[in-house]
Amino acid sequence: MSIQFKTIKELSFMLRSKEISNHELTIETFNLVENNKHLNAFITLDKEKALIKASELDKKPSELSLSGIPVAQKDLFVTKDLRTTCGSNMLSNFIPPYSATVIENLEAAGCISIGKTNMDEFAMGSSNETSFYGNVLNPWGQNLVPGGSSGGSAAAVAAGIVSAATGTDTGGSIRQPASLCGITGIKPTYGRISRWGMIAFASSLDQAGPMARTAEDCAILMNEMCSHDKKDTTSLDEDVPDFTEGIDKPIKGLKIGIVKEFDLSKLDNDVVKIFEDSKKHYESLGVEFVEVSLPNINLSVPTYYVVAPAECSSNLSRFDGIRYGNRCDNPKDLDDLYIRSRSEGFGDEVKRRILIGSYVLSAGFYDAYYKKAQQVRRLIKDDFDNAFKKVDLIMSPTTRGAAFEAGSMSDPIEMYLEDLFTVPANLAGLPGISIPNGYVDNKPLGLQLIANSLQESLLFNVAHNFQMTTDWHLKTPPLETK
Amino acid sequence: MDKETVATISYLSRLAFDKENEEKITKDLENIIEFVDQLDGVDTSDIEPLKSPLEKTAKTREDEITAKNRKEQFLKNAPDANEDYFLVPRVVE
Repeated sequence: MSIQFKTIKELSFMLRSKEISNHELTIETFNLVENNKHLNAFITLDKEKALIKASELDKKPSELSLSGIPVAQKDLFVTKDLRTTCGSNMLSNFIPPYSATVIENLEAAGCISIGKTNMDEFAMGSSNETSFYGNVLNPWGQNLVPGGSSGGSAAAVAAGIVSAATGTDTGGSIRQPASLCGITGIKPTYGRISRWGMIAFASSLDQAGPMARTAEDCAILMNEMCSHDKKDTTSLDEDVPDFTEGIDKPIKGLKIGIVKEFDLSKLDNDVVKIFEDSKKHYESLGVEFVEVSLPNINLSVPTYYVVAPAECSSNLSRFDGIRYGNRCDNPKDLDDLYIRSRSEGFGDEVKRRILIGSYVLSAGFYDAYYKKAQQVRRLIKDDFDNAFKKVDLIMSPTTRGAAFEAGSMSDPIEMYLEDLFTVPANLAGLPGISIPNGYVDNKPLGLQLIANSLQESLLFNVAHNFQMTTDWHLKTPPLETK
Repeated sequence: MDKETVATISYLSRLAFDKENEEKITKDLENIIEFVDQLDGVDTSDIEPLKSPLEKTAKTREDEITAKNRKEQFLKNAPDANEDYFLVPRVVE
C-alpha cells in the first residue's frame, strides 16, 4: 500500500486500523526519502532513532494526536544530539545539547522526526539557493526552485514524502515555498509558537509554523506546536484553542478585504485570472469582498530590509568561532579568529545582510534607517488595524508568480521582492496562510489570507472551506523518482 | 557607499572580502541602500517606533535556577577548549 501523498488524517487512520504498522510507515517514509534524493530536501536524516521510536509505538500504541506520524523538521530548529546546520557551513558540525520547544511539543504528541530539511542559509533567501548544502529542487518541474527559506520542508511535503513538516517564516519563508510547491502553510500570530531553540534570524519577525497538504492537517499540527513557553519572553500567554474545532463551519457572510494598493496589473494575466477565480469561488460560498486601503503597505519590503538585517547582524554576532561553529585554522590573534571564522563560515547572502545591518545600526545612520523603519513599521501595523475594523480577513496572491528556474534570479532586490505580499504580515505580527489555488503551466500558485491577531481558527476555517470545495490541494507533481 | 564605508562596516561585522568580491558587495550594498532609501519620503514625525509586534509581553520572572550545570555538554561544541574554558589566542602578553 502506498503512503505517498497521504495526509496526517489518512495516515492516522491507517495506523489505528492496523492497515500499516508504525515501523512499516517509517520504513516506507525513508524509502520515499531515498527515491526522492535528487530533490536534496534533507540535510541530515535520523533513521535509527526514528525506527526505534516507531517500534516502541508498535509495542505500546498511544492515543496521541500525532502518534506515529513522520514529520520533517526544518534544520533551523535545534535537535538534541542531532546535527543542526541552519543551512550554513558555520554550523556544519554543530550538535545541539537541547531541543527546540516546537520539536519537544511535536514529539511529545507522538510524531516521529525523520530528519532535518534543507533551507536557505540562516533562513535568508527565497529560493533555497543560498543553502551551503546545495539548492533544493521543486518536485513540480525540472530545475525549478521550491521557494525559501523553508524549501526543503515544502519540497518534502509536495513530493509526498511526509504529510507534515515544520517551517519558519520571517518574511514569507513558510507561505512563499508553500505557494511555489502547491502545499498549505501558515505563519501564526507572532508569539503563538515558542521561538526557544529556533536559531534566530530577526527576532521580532521570526515565527514557526506547520506545512502540510491541507489546512486541516496544519490545524492538527498547530494544536501541538503552540504553547506558552517561559523560556521565550515573547511567547504569548494566551489560551490555545483546538484549531480543528469548527473548521468546517460555513463562511457565508464573511467580509474579505482586497488591498487597493497591491497593483495586480503588474502580474502575469494567468496569475491574475487564478486570483480572480478564487475570489469568485469564495463569493459562491457567500463571502463578500470589500476594497480596503493600506496606504503604507507598499513600504513593507524596504522596511523589512532595514529591520531584518539589523536584527540579523545583531543575532549572528554570536557566531564568533569560539563557543561553537566554524573556527579558522591557526588564528594569529582574536580579531583574526573572528574575521576568518565568520568569513569562511557564512555565505554571500548572509554576509550581505550582516553588512546592511551593521550599516543601518551604525552611529550616524541609526535614526535615518533603523528608527525610521520602525516608525514606518508602526504605520503599516496601524493600516492593518484600521482595515480589520472593516473586514474579517485580507486576501492576496501569496507570490507574484509561480516557481522560477534555479539560477535565473541574480539581483538581490528582485529576490527580495519575491516576498512582496508576505512581508507585511510579519511586520505587523499577524497570522497568514497560503493555500494552493491554481496552476500556471503545471506550476502551482498560492492564495494568501491574512487575519487579525490570534485569529488562526478563522484562517483554518476559511482555507478548509476552500479545500472542501476545490481540488487544487489534491494535485500531485509529476513523479520522476530516481 | 564608498570603499572606506564598506571597510568600516566590514570590520564592525568582523567580515573580510577579497578584492574581487569587494566590488560586487559594494555595488550590492549601494543598490540595497538606495532601495530602502524610499522610506526617506515618509512623514514619520511623532510616530513611536514599533520594535516588536507584541508590545505588551516580555514579562519578568523570578530569577530561579532551572538548569543544571551542563558545562561538559556545552564545551563539547567548542572548536577549542580545555576541561573548564573555551580557548582563544593569547590576548594579554
